[in-house]
Amino acid sequence: MSSIDDKAKKRLNILGSAAVAGPASASSNAGDTARPTYWKSLAELEQSPEFLELAAREFAAPLEQEPPNSPGRRRFMQIMGASMSLAGLDACRWREDKILPMSRRPEGTIPGSSRYFATAMELNGSAVGLYASSYDGRPIKLEGNPAHPDSLGAASAYQQATLLGLYDPDRSTSVVTRVGGTRKASSWAEFSKASVELVATLRANGGAGLRILSERSSSPSLAEQKKKLLATFPQAKWVTFEPIASDGPRAGSVLAFGKAHRSHYALEAAKVVVTLDADVVHPTFPAGLANARALTKNRVPDGGEMSRVYAIESMVSLTGGISDHRLALRASSIKAVAAYLDAAISAKASALPEFGAAQDKPGAEFLKDAKVAAFLDAVAADLLANIGRSVVVPGQHQPAEVHALVHRLNALLGNVGRTVFYTEDTNAEAESDAAALKALSDELNGGKVDTLLILGGNPAFSAPADLAFADAIGKAKNSIHLSLYEDETSERASWHLPAAHYLESWGDALAWDGTLSIVQPLIAPLHGGKSALEVVAQLAGAAEPNALELIRAVHPDLSAEHAWRKALSTGVVDGTAAARVQPALKPLAKLALGEAELAGPGGNGKLELVFGIDPKIIDGRFANNAWLQELPESLTKLTWDNAVLISPRTAKELGISDADSVTVSVGSRQVTLLALIAPGHADGSLRITLGHGRTSAGHVGGLVSENIDPVGGNAYLVRTLEGYDIVATASIQSHGSVPYRVPSTQDIYTVGEIGQQGTQERLPELVREGTLEKLKSEPKFVDETVEHNPLLSLWVPPVSYDGHKWGMSIDLNKCIGCSACVTACQAENNIPVVGKKNVAMGREMLWLRVDRYYKGTPEEAEVSFQPIPCQQCENAPCEQVCPVGATMHSHEGLNDMVYNRCIGTRYCSNNCPYKVRRFNYFNYNMDTIGITPYTPTDDPKAKVKAMVFNPEVTVRSRGVMEKCTFCVQRIQNVKIKAKNVKRPIEDGEIKTACQQTCPADAIVFGDLNDEKARVTSLQRLPRSYALLGELNNKPRVQYLARIKNPNPALSPTEGAQAPKAEQG
Amino acid sequence: MAISDVNPYEAAPAGDNMFARITDNVSRIAETPTPPRAWYIAFGAAQLLLLMFFGSLGYVVWNGIGAWGNMMPVAWGFPIVNFVFWIGIGHAGTLISAVLFLFRQNWRTAINRFAEAMTIFAVVCAGIFPGMHIGRPWLPYYMFPIPNQMNMWPQFRSPLEWDVFAVSTYATVSILFWYMGMIPDFATFRDRATTTVRRVAYGIVAMGWRGSSRQWHVYERAYLILAALATPLVLSVHSVVSFDFATAQLPGWHTTIFPPYFVAGAIFGGFAMVVTLAVPARQFFGLKRIITIRHLELMNKVIMATGLLVGYAYGMEFFVAYYSGNKYEVFTFVNRAFGPYGWAYWTMISCNVLLPQLHWFPKFRTNPWCTLAIGLVVNVGMWFERFVIICTSLSRDFLPSSWGYFIPTPVDLMTLGGSFGLFFTLFLLFCRYLPMVAMAEVKAFSPAGRAHGDH
Repeated sequence: MSSIDDKAKKRLNILGSAAVAGPASASSNAGDTARPTYWKSLAELEQSPEFLELAAREFAAPLEQEPPNSPGRRRFMQIMGASMSLAGLDACRWREDKILPMSRRPEGTIPGSSRYFATAMELNGSAVGLYASSYDGRPIKLEGNPAHPDSLGAASAYQQATLLGLYDPDRSTSVVTRVGGTRKASSWAEFSKASVELVATLRANGGAGLRILSERSSSPSLAEQKKKLLATFPQAKWVTFEPIASDGPRAGSVLAFGKAHRSHYALEAAKVVVTLDADVVHPTFPAGLANARALTKNRVPDGGEMSRVYAIESMVSLTGGISDHRLALRASSIKAVAAYLDAAISAKASALPEFGAAQDKPGAEFLKDAKVAAFLDAVAADLLANIGRSVVVPGQHQPAEVHALVHRLNALLGNVGRTVFYTEDTNAEAESDAAALKALSDELNGGKVDTLLILGGNPAFSAPADLAFADAIGKAKNSIHLSLYEDETSERASWHLPAAHYLESWGDALAWDGTLSIVQPLIAPLHGGKSALEVVAQLAGAAEPNALELIRAVHPDLSAEHAWRKALSTGVVDGTAAARVQPALKPLAKLALGEAELAGPGGNGKLELVFGIDPKIIDGRFANNAWLQELPESLTKLTWDNAVLISPRTAKELGISDADSVTVSVGSRQVTLLALIAPGHADGSLRITLGHGRTSAGHVGGLVSENIDPVGGNAYLVRTLEGYDIVATASIQSHGSVPYRVPSTQDIYTVGEIGQQGTQERLPELVREGTLEKLKSEPKFVDETVEHNPLLSLWVPPVSYDGHKWGMSIDLNKCIGCSACVTACQAENNIPVVGKKNVAMGREMLWLRVDRYYKGTPEEAEVSFQPIPCQQCENAPCEQVCPVGATMHSHEGLNDMVYNRCIGTRYCSNNCPYKVRRFNYFNYNMDTIGITPYTPTDDPKAKVKAMVFNPEVTVRSRGVMEKCTFCVQRIQNVKIKAKNVKRPIEDGEIKTACQQTCPADAIVFGDLNDEKARVTSLQRLPRSYALLGELNNKPRVQYLARIKNPNPALSPTEGAQAPKAEQG
Repeated sequence: MAISDVNPYEAAPAGDNMFARITDNVSRIAETPTPPRAWYIAFGAAQLLLLMFFGSLGYVVWNGIGAWGNMMPVAWGFPIVNFVFWIGIGHAGTLISAVLFLFRQNWRTAINRFAEAMTIFAVVCAGIFPGMHIGRPWLPYYMFPIPNQMNMWPQFRSPLEWDVFAVSTYATVSILFWYMGMIPDFATFRDRATTTVRRVAYGIVAMGWRGSSRQWHVYERAYLILAALATPLVLSVHSVVSFDFATAQLPGWHTTIFPPYFVAGAIFGGFAMVVTLAVPARQFFGLKRIITIRHLELMNKVIMATGLLVGYAYGMEFFVAYYSGNKYEVFTFVNRAFGPYGWAYWTMISCNVLLPQLHWFPKFRTNPWCTLAIGLVVNVGMWFERFVIICTSLSRDFLPSSWGYFIPTPVDLMTLGGSFGLFFTLFLLFCRYLPMVAMAEVKAFSPAGRAHGDH
C-alpha cells in the first residue's frame, strides 16, 4: 500500500489524526528544521522526518488493516446489523469470524463468559437432564443437571461426549438422494417438493404402504405428531425399534402384573441389595446415574454402618466391582438363581396366598458346587433379615420370567413401596422391538411397503442378522432415512435427511420416572438438519413446522410465559413424574428350567454368548466419537476396539490366550474379533458389546469406502431373533495372537510371574482396604498398613500456604469406575485424542485415569478402581528436576505447568511416582484431528471441529508436558467472582470437572485451610491415606480406603485372605 | 588418482635416526596423496551412516519425537541411552591424557592423541542427543543462563541443568587440551609441508611454534596445569551425569553408588573404544611400531580392572536393594534380571563382566584381534548397561497400573546407528589430516629420547 515505512506507521498510530491534520505552519515549513516554539506532540517538537512526511500529507494514509477484512462501509453496516440481531437470540449460532466488536453490548450477554442452559438428552426412551455451557454462542461442555431426577448433577461419559458429536465434521450436511445406487446431493426444498407428492398419494390411499420406523422416544410432542400422522393416514403403521432395548422388563412386568410397568429402586433406603446380572449403577441402566448416587450414599462406613451388596452376574459389572460379595454365574443360570431365591424366601416369609405357589428349588445339578448353594442361602437369609429394607434387581437382558420372579421376590420381601416403586409404562409397545421389526421386515420383503420412513437409528447395521434388514430396506419403493450421519442405513435408502443434533433443535423428553424436560437448543443447526419431530409434522400436513410451536402446543401447563421460562431454566417441570402405583401381583406359573439354565457354575459344556450394551458407543451410534473411542473401558481398559470376554478357566479349556484373535460363531454366523481374558467372568459365558465394527461410521469409527478400517468386531453379525439377548450355544475358535498391539491403557503386555508378585506385594498398600468390622475394631489400620520412617524434612517448607490450600479426597468405597470423570476432564481441559496406535504405545493423554486392579484368584477376582489425577504434591518430585522451571509450585499448593516454558525434557514424568504426566509426542490436535484453534484455516470442517475447544484452557502444542491442574480455570473463576464482591469462597463452590460429574460423589475438592470444608473433614477420617505417602511427597490428594461389609456367613476366615494372587 | 591397493604405510619409515623415523611414520599418514582403500571404504560407510543420522534427526524434528519409541512411562528411551553411552566413551581420552600423565604412565604417549580425539568426537555425538531429545528441539537455549527479556532463568536444582555445565566444561577443557598437545606436531607438519596450502594451514594452527626451549618450558607447564584441571573433570562429568538418575526417586535410579559406578563404567567403555579404534588404526596406518602389543596389553588390563569394578557395582546394587528392605527397590532389581527386559540385563552381564575375563590369559590380551573383539563386546555391553538402567527402571515403577514396555522404532535404531556415522566421519577425517600420534611426546619417551636417562 503506501510507501511509508513501518516506523512511520507506528508513529501515525500514536499521533492519531491530530498530527496529520497538522497546523498550517507545520505544513508550510515542511523544509524548515527549526524547532517550533509551541508544539502539540514530541514528534512535532523534534521535527522528525516521519512527522514532517506525515504533516505534508493532506490525508492520513489508510491503515494497513482496515476493520477486519472489510470491503467497505456498506459491508460494515450489514455485518453490524446482523450481529446485533443475532446477539439478541438466546440460543444462537456461533457468530461468524468476521464480526466486529459490539459497540453496545446487547442485554444479557457478557462476551467471553460462559452461560449455562438446561437441556436434556434422550436415549432409549428416557432422558437425562443436562446443563450445557455456552461460550459466545457455542456449547463447550455438557454437565448433568442437578435438578433432574436421573442425573442429580452427574452425566455419563457418552452423554458428555455428545458435545464432540455435535461438532463432528463427518456429520451429513445435506439431503442426499440415491437412485439406482448413485448418490446425489439434494436439498430440503427438493425433499419438500417430493414429500408434497408423496403426501398427496398417501392421502389418497389412507397411508397404505407407509411405515415409520423410529427409535424409542418419550417425547410427548413426537407422540402427539405420531397420533396426528396415524389419524391422517389410518392405514400407516408406526414401528419402534431400539437395538439395546431388551424385552425382558416389559414382558416380565406383563407376566407379573398383567401390564407394563417401570421399576424404580430407592437404593439409598436399602440395607441389602441383590443384583441378578444387573449393573444397576451403570449409566446405561435405567436411571443408572441416580442409582449410583443412591447406592453409594449407603457405602459410607465412617458412621459404623453401611449397606451390603451382593452381585450375582455373568460379567464383572460396576455393581459387582463395589459389591461385598460376588458370584460369577452364566447369564442363563440367573433364572435358576431367581427360582432358588424364591423357593428359599417363600418357605420362610409368610407368603400371601394370592402371590401363588413358590418355585421349586433347582436340583442337584445346579447346586453341585457347594459354594453356590451357600452363597444363595446366605443371600436369602440376609434378605429375610432385612424385610422391607432390601432390593432385588434383575438385569435388563434377562428373560421375562426372571423379571416376573423378581417382582414377586420384592413383593414377598415387603420391599414394594419402600425400596421398590412402580410406575405405569405408558410408552410400552405391545410386543418386543425385535418382533415388531420382524413384522416390518416381512412386510418389506412381501412388497407391502411403499414408503419407509426411518427416524434416526441405524437398523441396516443394528437389526438382528437373520432379518437381513439392510436388504429389506431396498424393497420399499421409497425409503427415507433421517440421521446425523450418512450411515449404513442411509446408503440403502432413497432419501437421506440430515438430522438435527439434540443441541440444535427443540424437543421434549421424559426421565425414567416420567419427569418432563424441555430439550433446549444451544445453537442453530450447523448443517441445516431437522429433528424427527419436524419431519413427522411435515408429513402429517404442517407446511413449515416449527418445533418450538409444536412443543408448546403439547404442554398447555407451560403456556404461561413464566412457567415456560421456569421449565427452561431449571430443565425439569416439577410434579410431572408419573404416579407411583402398586400393581397387584398375579400368581406365577412354575418355571420350566432348561438344561442350560440348570447347569451349575461350570456350565453344561456349551458356551453361552451374552450381548451387552457398549458402555461407550452404546449401540454403535457414537462410534464416530473419538472421545468415547479413546476412553478406556472400565474393566478391560480397552480403547479403540472391542473384545469378546471370556473367563480364565474357560479360556484355558478352549486353548485361548489373552489378546488372541478369535472367531465367535452362532450357527453359521460368525464374527472375528479380539478376545480378552476377563478375571471374574463367569465360566462358560462369552460376552460381546454391541455397536463396534461400523463400516460407514466416519473417519473415526470406520469408513470402508475410504479405506478406514472398522473399529472392533460387529456383534450384530451373530445376533438373531432367537438369540437376541443371550445365545444359548455359541462356539469360539482362536487364530493366535492379534497382529497389533492391543490398545489398552493398562497391562498392554504380559505382566509375567515377577510382575504379578510385585503387584501383589504392593497392592495392599496402594489400594488399602478392610472390612467394616476391622474399621470398627482397629480404626487406625489404614494408616498402619505401611510402616515407614518418620517423614521429616531438614528444611522449612518454602511455601506457607497462608491463603488457600487446595486438596482433594477420593473415596475408593464410592468409586464405581464408570469413567465419566475421565471424559469430563477431557472436555474441560481440551485433552487431545491420540488414536489407536499411540494408545497402544502408551501415549494416551488423559489427565485423569481410573486404575483397575484385581484381587484374589483370577477365577474369583475382586475388582477395585482407583482414579489417579495429579496428586499435586507439596514436596513435588517433578518440580525439582525441571531444568527450565516449567512446572512450578503455586502459593496455593498447585503444581502449575507453564507450557510456554516447557521444552519437553520429560524428566518430570520420570520422577513422578504416580506417572500422571502426559507428553505431547506429536502435535496431536493437528495430527489426529487436523486442527488446533491457532491454525489459520478456511476449511469449514476444520472450523467446526475447532468450536469444541474450551477457551479457558490452553491448547497444548507438540513437545510439551501436561497434566491435571485441579481445573485451575474453575478455581480462578470462582476466586474472581468472590473477590469482586469481597466475600470468602464457600466450601463446595469450586468443583473440578471430575468431581462435578461423578455420579457416585466420590470426589471432593476444597480448601484444606478451611476447617469446616468437606475435604478437610474427609482427609481427617481414619481411613484417609496418601498414596505412596511414605515417599514424603506430601500429596494433596488423599484416598479413603475401601471398606467392605461382608456377610459373616460368607466371609472367609482372616487367614484365608492371605493367598492373594493378582492378575494384571 | 588411483587408489593404491598396497598399504603405503607398510614400508619402513624413512630417516636415519629414531626421531626422524617416528616423525616420518606419523607424518606420512597425513602426507600421502591418497589414503589406503580401507580408509575410503570406511569413510564412505561413515558418510552413509551420517546421512542416516541427520535424516532421522530431521524426520524427528519435523514430525515430533513421537517418531522414536519413547512413551509413558519410559519417557527417556534411546536418545538418553545414547547420550550417556557417548559421554561414557568420552572418558578414556581425558583419563589417558590427564590422569595417566600425572601418574607418569609414559606408555600413554602412543595412544593419547587419538584417545583425546575420540573423546572430543564422542562428546560431540553425546552433545547432540540432549538437545535433540527434548520435545521442542528448537528451544534448548532455555537451559542456558542467558539474561533475556522473558525473565526466564534456568532452574538450578535440576540435575539436567548441572549436566549442561558439566558437559560443556568437559568439552571445552578436552578441546583445549587436545589442541594444545597438537601444537608441536602441527609445527612438524608445517615444516614438512610440500604445498603452500598445507604450509599456511598448519602454520596457522601451529601458532608460531618454533620449538625453542622457552616455548617447550611454557608448553610443558601449561600441559601440566591443564592436566591438573582436567583430572577432576574425569570424575565430575560422569558423576554429574549419574546424578540425573541418582537424584531422582525412581527405584533403580535412586542410589548413592551411581557416581563411582558410572565413572568406572565410563573408563571401562572408553578404553574399550580406544582399543576398538587402535587395533584397526595401527593395522591400516602402519603404526605397529608405535602402538605396540605392550600398549594393547596395558589397555586390556585397565579394561579388566574397570570391568571388575563395574561387576562389583552390579552386585552391590542388588545387595543394597535387598538390604534396604524397600519392596520397590527389591522388585526393580529382580525385575531387571528376570523381568521382561531380562534379556538386556544378561546381555549386559555377559558383555561387561563375563567375556572380559578372557583377558586374564596373556594369550588373549596380547592378541590384537581378541583385543578388538572384546573391545567391541564391551562397547555393546556398556550401551546395554545404560539401556538397562534407563528403560527397565522406568518401565516398571511404583504403580503397577502405569507399567509399560518400551519398544524402539526403526527411527530409534537409525539414530543410534547414525551417531556412529558422525563419530567415524570425524575420526577418519582426524586420521587423515591431523597428527594421529603425539610425535613429540613419543619421542621424549623413546629409547633415543631417554638416551641420557631420567635426569
